Amino acid sequence: MTKVKLILNVNGETRQVTTDPEEPLLWVLRDQLRLTGTKFGCGEAICGACSVLVDHQAWRSCAIPVEAVANGEKITTIEGIGVPGRLSPLQRAFSEHTAFGCGFCTPGMIINATALLHANPHPSRIEIIATMDENLCRCGAYPAIIDASESMAACNQKE
Amino acid sequence: MLARAWRPVTRKNEFERDQTRRSFLTAVGHASLVYAFHFACSKKDEEPVSGVDDVLEADIHDAATEVRLDYREWLVVDLDGSVAAHTGRSELGQGLKTVLSNVICQGLELPESRVQLIMGDTELCPNDGPTTGSSSTRVVGWGYWLACERVRKDVLMLAARTLDCPEEELIYRQGEIFSTKDHAKRIGMGELGNGKVRLATVDTASPSQSGKHYQDNATLNVNAVAIVTGTQRYTGDVYPEDGLYGAFLLPPYHMHNTRLLSVDLSKAREIPDLVSIRHRRRRSVFALGRTYRSVQEALDTVGAQWKVPPRPRVFNNEQEIRSGAELVKVIEKRGNVEAGLERSQYVISETYITQYASQVPIETETAVAKVEGNRVTVWTGTQNPFLARERTARRLELPESQVRIIEMPVGGGFGAKAGPWTAAEAATLAQTAGVPVKYVYSRKEQFQRRGRYKESVLIDIASGVLPNGQLLARKIDIHQDTGKGTKEVYEASHVLTRLFKAPMPVRHSVMRGTSFVQTGYALESHTDVVAKTAGLDPVEFRKRNVVLPAFRPLLDACAEMIDFGTYQAPDDHGIGFAICNHGDRQLGAVAAEVSVDRPTGRVEVKRLCGAFDIGVIINVNTLIMGAKGAMIWGIGYALFEEVALNGHMAFTQSLNDYRISRFSAVPPIKVVFLDNQDPSSPRGCGELPVIPTIGAICNAVYDATSARFYTLPLTPERVKAALQS
Repeated sequence: MTKVKLILNVNGETRQVTTDPEEPLLWVLRDQLRLTGTKFGCGEAICGACSVLVDHQAWRSCAIPVEAVANGEKITTIEGIGVPGRLSPLQRAFSEHTAFGCGFCTPGMIINATALLHANPHPSRIEIIATMDENLCRCGAYPAIIDASESMAACNQKE
Repeated sequence: MLARAWRPVTRKNEFERDQTRRSFLTAVGHASLVYAFHFACSKKDEEPVSGVDDVLEADIHDAATEVRLDYREWLVVDLDGSVAAHTGRSELGQGLKTVLSNVICQGLELPESRVQLIMGDTELCPNDGPTTGSSSTRVVGWGYWLACERVRKDVLMLAARTLDCPEEELIYRQGEIFSTKDHAKRIGMGELGNGKVRLATVDTASPSQSGKHYQDNATLNVNAVAIVTGTQRYTGDVYPEDGLYGAFLLPPYHMHNTRLLSVDLSKAREIPDLVSIRHRRRRSVFALGRTYRSVQEALDTVGAQWKVPPRPRVFNNEQEIRSGAELVKVIEKRGNVEAGLERSQYVISETYITQYASQVPIETETAVAKVEGNRVTVWTGTQNPFLARERTARRLELPESQVRIIEMPVGGGFGAKAGPWTAAEAATLAQTAGVPVKYVYSRKEQFQRRGRYKESVLIDIASGVLPNGQLLARKIDIHQDTGKGTKEVYEASHVLTRLFKAPMPVRHSVMRGTSFVQTGYALESHTDVVAKTAGLDPVEFRKRNVVLPAFRPLLDACAEMIDFGTYQAPDDHGIGFAICNHGDRQLGAVAAEVSVDRPTGRVEVKRLCGAFDIGVIINVNTLIMGAKGAMIWGIGYALFEEVALNGHMAFTQSLNDYRISRFSAVPPIKVVFLDNQDPSSPRGCGELPVIPTIGAICNAVYDATSARFYTLPLTPERVKAALQS
């Protein structure tokens, strides 16, 4: 497949990439745009470490061909959620609850939780668990992640 | 003059000395005051540690020749008083960097901005062994605490000389030493250097001299902001200029001695972004490409034909293990176990077998290698950078001095990243390619890893019990185990515990919990049957027969937390208990409530309670979080995790095939730690809670169904089958 020029809207900026249109969005973000906060964990859309927001919904970027999101969709990666010195409220909650172990799954967790809170600002514990269930963590930070997400629901914050 | 007996200088030691000298001089640089510490352990070495009270002095340039393998932690103070600690240990997500940072900040009364940690870079750090076994936080963390105490004392002595006043007059405050009598007499710690290295030994088994412990404050995790913003860089986030992705074709077989017979590279060459694919020697095919996908797709198209040694068509694990088993050693022998069993009222004899398992870190093994002339640099997240250096050097036929391993944050280790192979493989590819290469293991490779799994262990266990419920005899035969996980838990007059080696059909890979997992599960599952046979409840039987009285309050705590005795479990619910002695005075008890759905065989953990005794508690919140994470891992071992092997093949290739604990598997968990005011060094708690969780869940299923299970995990199929029979 020959390479094409595509326009992507990433973290509020217009970015142009030259790529095989079937290349997974994950690798375009990482290798071409050097947005390395989005991680490769399995390549099969199971672990969730590659999650990004596409128009406020959490999608698994390892399973999206880049051409599918080159039509004006707003892509938000973890870099667009918050940066050191300007954390989003959810990022601050994760930090304060130490809702991580090694941190590798954390960007995906934050993306997924952000999407959840956008759709449902006051999720119950059960709703949090059901929505996050497809994001895997091996360090066992699940209880702290639930607490951090739940604290956002209590604060009435909206992403 | 060094008052120690030194080891003879062998050729290997000479190399280490030269390496240590190079790293030392590089690391020390323009530093002023330099300490090199030897973290000894009187308990481990079983002999008193000598030289603890001395601080010896050596020339910086000569010091490294004297700084042999023993002084393996360096604390370096700059003229401006900022401090760098050079350690060969790694941050795996276990929080070691935060612990060491806290320890040194508190120990030397310095702000975070003045304390730097340099970890696992073989050019700048000494080789203090691998980061495994939950020991680093405990040993190295405590070691630095004691080291800081020594530094604070030592600088008073040095300052007394420089300021020309009595030591008693001086106090240390936040990196400065000043006289209480004359405030004009003050000096910064960093100004006390004299071109010499100060060598000191600390005994990590000893209590703190001040009687104080460091505060391990969970909210000060030094990596928190980087992690939640995705700016913490892991190996895969390193992008060397002109680098390519690369990978080897690995055999799909879990066996050794496979041979590549033929491949067809023509289809691979049509893949865009593939740069090269080659079949080199009889064993390997490798691909290089501009993208991860091109490399993986190329290797998928080669249609490899492999020659494998003859194997039975049916892969019967127990049969495999028993045939060819050889007695390796008698771990424990007391009395006459056969006679003891004969004299017992009840004899229960069972065989357990555990599953092959895989570590499944979320970050797959990754290495980035750059070869420039004869210099090799490898970035990788590993539990053992110095082993990676050695193996990489050997593979590339270069001296170790030409190889530098730069340790990156690790996206989960759990034993998967203790080996050196990824670094060596990436370096081999880089050497061949002539450009930097990034080797990212696919998830399939991470499962298969040339057949490295946590071993399946076969345990024959027989117990003899007297009418009053006292355990009289116990015989345990452990097959195909590394033998480390067999600490005494129950009292019996007649004991025989033996370890058998078996030619393992797969390569062993260490995995969280080590052999304590397998032996702990079998022992505790068996114990419940013994208790029931003797007519005692599981708590009562254990309290009566444990060899360490310290278990009793833990059992009571669990029983209370789960309302044992008063709680009326609904139908198909059960409650189970298990205990574990993890060695080094780490004790644990766990209680579980499960529900069993009979039609599907699905087991759900409804509640977990854990009580742990690990001596002094530094920060209970950190410990509780860690314990919960470990118990969640234990749920996986008990209910989900199993690698499917059959004949030659490992069928487990994807996260679809291997289930780990998810959010929905996590029940409410209550954890308590016994605060027994033990003044000695902290013992750590990384693996302990995993083990009794498994036994407790299995025993809860037994309580709910009366069905026996002799193998893990308790999958719905196994449970359904057991219930139907």
